[in-house]
Amino acid sequence: MRITLQEDLDSINANLLEEGQLVLRALRGALNALREADAELADEVIAFDDEIDRRYISIEQGIEVLLARQTPVAVDLRLVLAMLHTNLHLERMADYCVTIAKLTKLVANVEPEPRMIQAFEEMGSRAEEMIRVALDAFVNRDLEEASSLVDLDELIDRANRRVVRQVLELGPDPARTEWGLRMIVVSRCLERIGDHAVDIGEQVAYLVTGEFREFTDASHPVERS
Amino acid sequence: MSGDTILNVAPIEIAQSRERRPVTAARETVFDIRNLSVSYGKTPAVKDVSFEIYRNMVTAIIGPSGCGKSTFIRTLNRMNDLVPSAKVEGDVLYHGQDLYASRVDPVQVRRKIGMVFQRPNPFPKSIFDNVAWGLRVLGMKDNLKDRVQHALEQAALWDDVRHRLKKSALGLSGGQQQRLCIARALAVEPEVLLMDEPASSLDPIATSRIEDLMHTLKRDYTIVIVTHNMQQAARVADLTAFFSLDVLPDGARTGLLVEYDATEKIFTQPSDKRTEDYVTGRFG
Repeated sequence: MRITLQEDLDSINANLLEEGQLVLRALRGALNALREADAELADEVIAFDDEIDRRYISIEQGIEVLLARQTPVAVDLRLVLAMLHTNLHLERMADYCVTIAKLTKLVANVEPEPRMIQAFEEMGSRAEEMIRVALDAFVNRDLEEASSLVDLDELIDRANRRVVRQVLELGPDPARTEWGLRMIVVSRCLERIGDHAVDIGEQVAYLVTGEFREFTDASHPVERS
Repeated sequence: MSGDTILNVAPIEIAQSRERRPVTAARETVFDIRNLSVSYGKTPAVKDVSFEIYRNMVTAIIGPSGCGKSTFIRTLNRMNDLVPSAKVEGDVLYHGQDLYASRVDPVQVRRKIGMVFQRPNPFPKSIFDNVAWGLRVLGMKDNLKDRVQHALEQAALWDDVRHRLKKSALGLSGGQQQRLCIARALAVEPEVLLMDEPASSLDPIATSRIEDLMHTLKRDYTIVIVTHNMQQAARVADLTAFFSLDVLPDGARTGLLVEYDATEKIFTQPSDKRTEDYVTGRFG
């Protein structure tokens, strides 16, 4: 029944998952460039974003046409809306990868501080895991998996909160201070990637339950032990 | 340097949605309609219509009541010949040949260009005989059973009727009767299927089956559908022609082609204000 609608939904869904894989690749590239202070790889990450943007636009257009032609309702409508949001979240994640790459280039001549690089590697791995979990939850319509993103995000948030102190410990050398200030933004980018993964999880919950709610409320945070 | 292979990938070919494929891709013209006007008596029902209809695509004709949709589609297989007052001007070229040339046999035209109507109109005969009817008339009697089965399969009706082929077609549901009429049209191996409001007398489920069927059939056939259900055109058609009404100085109304484009264009970004008003429900 409704072969065309189903084919179109499947096609957009497949495109979205591929976009997720591209974002993972961009993030890995950005993290490696950061660790190695590799300006060339950073340039590649920046250029690679065009690929992700093209995917983003293709999905956006696919959804526009699907809405105009197929008038989806109920679960189909929720899926389309969830895909629309997820597409944007993935694209924003990729933009953060570009920001990390640009910052890497700005301080490529400064020797990275190993301890902080190690911390970013861990945050980055967490972010990668969160993207995978978010995409998995989306594919499997898995509410529990989607909800687990909140706890994963808390780990990144904690690491992010530690960064300022680590920067203050870098010492008086202006070059290292600049490096440290740039790294505060890098940390923020990784933290935001985690937030977008949580947002995708919220879209999964909306898709499954039909009710939209934020997993956490930034303006009324719940104290965590 | 580490990580240099991570981004070193072949350029990704964006898997564009089928709907976004440009309609300018290679396509074969089946009908070339040039300055076509049809009048009943003095009043033109459609005036000066020109456009091309392409092979293996679903082309929808939409527009308000009285805009000449049905009159137009009937010119494509000379059904208007049966209306004594109808006068056809301009050209309908079918694969480059003038469909209205004097040497053209309308029966042959209707064999190549089949038609399905608004109300299912099975003959008061068995299911088998309904489908076999055209085959017998045209002398296509070899492998009759196979031909009937094939047509019923193409119309997605075989599984419903395989055990009651000898039963009356009038015992079928409305949706089944319409699919039987489609099978009857397909049995004589046409190239084009004209459908004049094929689902307007059917319930939503039967309608959906007919729409799915069009999606499948366009692999083998060229389909032209008239529908007053805009969403149906949006769902099934690759290309959509919007017809509207023009009021002549003497108050008479005549149909005209306003816009013809890829369906996605018509329903997301029509070029003509009249099309926009119609598809958004602000007119007609």
